[in-house]
Amino acid sequence: MLRTVTLSLVLALLAWASAAWLTEDFQVWTAEGARRLSVIERPVPAPAVVLAGPGLTQITQITQITQPSLPTSLTATGEITIVAFFYTRCPTVCTALGSTFEELQQAIAANPGSGVRLLTISFDPSHDDAASLQQYASQRRADPGRWQVATVPDAAHLQRLLDAFQVVVIPDGLGGYEHNAALLIVDERARLVRIFDVSDHDTALAYARAIAPRGAAR
Amino acid sequence: MGVMRGSLGRSCAGVILLLVMVSPPIRRATEASMTAHMLVQYTGLLLAGGLLSHGLPARWLQALQRWNEVGIAGLVGSSLTLAVLMVPRVLDLALTDMRVECLKLFALVLTGAALRLSWRRAGTVVQVFFLGNVLPMMAVVGSLYRDAATRVCNAYRLDDQQDLGLALVWIAVGVLTLWLLHLGLQRRDVGPYQ
Repeated sequence: MLRTVTLSLVLALLAWASAAWLTEDFQVWTAEGARRLSVIERPVPAPAVVLAGPGLTQITQITQITQPSLPTSLTATGEITIVAFFYTRCPTVCTALGSTFEELQQAIAANPGSGVRLLTISFDPSHDDAASLQQYASQRRADPGRWQVATVPDAAHLQRLLDAFQVVVIPDGLGGYEHNAALLIVDERARLVRIFDVSDHDTALAYARAIAPRGAAR
Repeated sequence: MGVMRGSLGRSCAGVILLLVMVSPPIRRATEASMTAHMLVQYTGLLLAGGLLSHGLPARWLQALQRWNEVGIAGLVGSSLTLAVLMVPRVLDLALTDMRVECLKLFALVLTGAALRLSWRRAGTVVQVFFLGNVLPMMAVVGSLYRDAATRVCNAYRLDDQQDLGLALVWIAVGVLTLWLLHLGLQRRDVGPYQ
């Protein structure tokens, strides 16, 4: 019986160790939870991918949005960017996301110089061409000075960006997509530093304002 | 001779089932949906492990028995392994991290073998302990999957997750029913109460 007890204890220890590894010491149970935890501990540098969209008069790299030294059509000077991924045909999550971004834009406009800007990136460039994005931006009354709507035309670039930020896009079986929609806080050094639920937009904005570099707050 | 041929046949079936389950096309197909991932692939690998255990040499079985009295170690290990493998992050990680995928496949085959080698040896008390752990866990995980407003796996759809949740609850209820029926039949064999 001693051997049976010993083996049982060893198995229990193994299971405990693998569960602790899997759940980051019993903090998270899902891949999404692990993703959010890992960016806090290890910020993810945005890969150099080419963005295109209305208001972007020239081809722009995502890193240029937050790096003032590089030539860019965006007026940002070391700002914090709240990024979200979406696609314009999306009937569910992205509708809520659009309203959230409108609210965020209002909040930012009410407190100018807070050093926070918005960027929504479509992961469906085959459908979301310049015209669709322009239409979306006007519908949502996006102010190009504060809220950029863009896509990543190059498939390899898009995949690199989605992989780096662990954005998982899957077909929803109805011609659309399901994706882990969230508010991604990208700091002035173009690093993904924090991820919030779309419903936590107040906290996301407060966090972005708190970490905004002082120089940006004019 | 008949027994030997039977166990040879079963272990061969185990080898074939294992090869089929881990072959890239079947793995892709079963892992394309959350429901198939957990219900078809998990079950297939458990079954393969159970069949493979028929091929273990008698000497190994004897040695194993000393470490697995009344099937306790096997059932403790199995219930813990199944608990870990029901953490939603496993399903996502298995798709992107080959190490996790290999460990998952290996753990399921081993659990299948452990279950077969331990179940009969375990008396009713140990079986109650095992099922009392695994079935409520399965039902709770199932209802969480069913009722969650958000997806627990980034790689799978919400409707898929809800289907799996409902199925897990029904499987837990089904296994409990079958086991109780089995227990009732056993008692009848013993004879009526006096």
